[in-house]
Amino acid sequence: MAGKRWKIDLEESLRIAMSALRANKARGFLTTLGIVIGIVAVILTMTAANGLQSTFRQSFSSVGSDVIYVSRFPWVMRNDFFLYRNRPRLDLRSANALERRLRGSAIVNPTLGGRQDLKFRSETMEGISVVGTTEKQTIVASAQPAVGRFITDFDVTYKKNVCVIGTEVRDALFGTANPLNQQMKVGRFTFRVIGVMEKQGGSFLGGPNFDRQVFIPISTFVKAFGGERSQDVNLAVKAPSQEALADVEFAVIGEMRKIRQLRPSEPDNFSINKLDTLVGTFNNVMGVVLLVGLLITSVSLFVGGVGVMNVMFVSVTERTREIGIRKAIGAKPHSIMFQFLFEAAAIGLVGGLAGIAIASVLTAVINALVMPASVSVGILVIAVVVSIAVGIVAGFVPAWKGARLNPIDALRYE
Amino acid sequence: MDRNSENGHAADGTALSLRDVVKTYVVGTDVVHALRGVSLDIRRNEYVAVMGPSGSGKSTLMNVIGCLDVPTSGTYSLEGQMVANLNEYQLADIRNQRIGFVFQTFNLIPRANIFHNVELPLIYAGVARSQRRERVERAIERVGLANRVKHKPNELSGGQRQRVAIARALVGEPSIILADEPTGNLDSKTGDEIMTLLDELHQAGQTIILVTHEDYIAAHAHRVIRLKDGIIESDSPTSGRAG
Repeated sequence: MAGKRWKIDLEESLRIAMSALRANKARGFLTTLGIVIGIVAVILTMTAANGLQSTFRQSFSSVGSDVIYVSRFPWVMRNDFFLYRNRPRLDLRSANALERRLRGSAIVNPTLGGRQDLKFRSETMEGISVVGTTEKQTIVASAQPAVGRFITDFDVTYKKNVCVIGTEVRDALFGTANPLNQQMKVGRFTFRVIGVMEKQGGSFLGGPNFDRQVFIPISTFVKAFGGERSQDVNLAVKAPSQEALADVEFAVIGEMRKIRQLRPSEPDNFSINKLDTLVGTFNNVMGVVLLVGLLITSVSLFVGGVGVMNVMFVSVTERTREIGIRKAIGAKPHSIMFQFLFEAAAIGLVGGLAGIAIASVLTAVINALVMPASVSVGILVIAVVVSIAVGIVAGFVPAWKGARLNPIDALRYE
Repeated sequence: MDRNSENGHAADGTALSLRDVVKTYVVGTDVVHALRGVSLDIRRNEYVAVMGPSGSGKSTLMNVIGCLDVPTSGTYSLEGQMVANLNEYQLADIRNQRIGFVFQTFNLIPRANIFHNVELPLIYAGVARSQRRERVERAIERVGLANRVKHKPNELSGGQRQRVAIARALVGEPSIILADEPTGNLDSKTGDEIMTLLDELHQAGQTIILVTHEDYIAAHAHRVIRLKDGIIESDSPTSGRAG
C-alpha cells in the first residue's frame, strides 16, 4: 500500500513536471545551454581519449611490449639534447658483441635507418624511411609480410639488393599492380621487391609511420648507404617473455657497459627505450587532453547547473500559489519536492540529449577528418546520467524551498 | 477510507470540537492575538456560517479548522482525533481525507484540466487510477459539469470554476466542507447557484462550514457564529431555519 502510494505520488510529480516543461519550452531550452556544452565537452573528451588510445595502440602494435631498444639517444627528448649529443655512436661491432653475450637469453636485432627517395618507373616518393635489418626483424617486431617473404639470413650474408615495402609505399609506387619481383630504386640503387608488410595503422600524432617504410638487409644498407660510420645502429632486444623483460634490461645495461668499458662512476652513454617510454609520453598527452576536457566540462556543467537552479527558483516562485493549493488538499512536502526535482532532472536530461546529438555530429566530423572516433554506449550512458544528476543537484535547493512552504502563506501569495 | 462508519466518535454526532483555542502570531516585535479562547462544537450534517469583520480571527479559525494551522493552546478534535499536536505529514493526511476546501478565488491549478484538478486529492490519498476515474466522474457529475471534463480552468466561467472546486472538495468524501467566501468573486446570480449547490450537498448529509460577511449568504446556513476580536460574540440558529 505504502509503495503503491509512492508510485501514485511519483506519477503525479512526473506529470506536473512535464506539463511545466511544455509550458516553458524556450526558457528551459536556454537554461540547458550550459549543460549542452558540458555534455558535448564530456563526450568529445572521452571520445578523443578513446580515439587517441586506439590510434596509439595500432601505431605501435609492432613495438612489442617484450622488446627493449638500445640506441644512442632516448626516444623522448625534451630540452636536454646536450646531455646526449657527445655520446659515441652505436656501431655494428658493439651490436654483434651484445648479441654474442646475450645469446641464449634474448634475441638481438640490429637496424640502421636513413631516408632515401624511392622510384618505380614514373612514380617517386621522397625522403622515405629505409631500414637496414636482419631476418630477426619479424621475430622481434610483430609485423609480418602480408605478401611474399621477409629478408632472410641468406640475403643478409650475401648483401642482396632485395627490399620489403610497407603498404603505403606499395600503394604509392605500384598502385594496384603486383609489386613482387619488380625492380625499384632506393636512392641510387636498384632493389627487387620480395615482400609487402601487413598494414600497421598509420602515424600517431606525427610519430613514425610504419606503413611508410622499406626494409633492406642491414649488410646491403651498410654497403649502399655508408651505414655505420654516418649512422647509428639501433638494437632491438626481445626477451623470452614480458616477465623476463626487466631481467633482460638489467643484463643489456650490464653487457653494454662492459662493451663500452664504462667505469662504475660513469653514467650510461647509451639509452634503453621501450614501449613503456612511449606509453609514458602518451599518458602525458592523454593527461593533458583529459585535464582540459575535464576543466571545460566542469566549468560548463557548473554554469549549466547554476542556470537550472535559477530557472527552478523562478519556477517555484511562480507556482507558490499552486504549491499552497496542493498542500491544502493533502500534498506532502516530498510530493512537492519530487515535482520540482523531476522538472529539474528533465531540464538536465533535455540538455544532455541535445549535447549528445551535437557531440555525435562533431564526432562524425572528427572521424571523417582527423582520426578514428566513435561515441560508445558507455559514454552515452555517462552523459545521460551526468546531465540528469546536474539537474537534480541544481534543483535540490529550489525544490526544498518549495516543499517547505507554509500552505497558508503560499495560498495567500499573489 | 471508511472512517465514517467505524469511527467510535461518530456515534455522538460530533464532527469537530474546539476547546479554549488560542492562536497568537509574532509579527516582528508585535504579538497578535488572533484567537483568544474559542470553544465550539459542530455536529455532523450541520450547516454553519462563520461571520465577522476583518481582523476578527475568522481566517485564523478557518485555518485551524482546516488543519492548515495548529492552535497555540487549547484542543481541537476532528471526528474524535486530536489535531493540536500532529506533525506536518499527519496534518496533510487529515486535510486530504477529512477536509474539502472551497476558496473564494477557486484555486484551481491552471495547467491541469478539470478532471485532473478534481482527481488531485485522490492522487495524494494514494487511490489507484482505476478507482479514481469513477469517483472523479461522479463528483464532476454532481456539480453538473460532466461535459467539461477536458477543459482547462481558464476555459470556464467563474461559476463553473467554483463548481470544479466544489467537486474537488467533494471527491475525497470529507467530513467537512470548508467554504471560504465561496461567492466572493461571483456575481449574485452565479453566487446563488453555488449556494444552491451547497444547500443540496447539505441536504445529502454533508457538514458544511461557510465563511462569509454577507448576511444573505449566511442565511443559507442553519447556525451563525459571529467572531469579534478573537472570541465568539454570538452563536445562534438562523431565524426561521433552525430546527
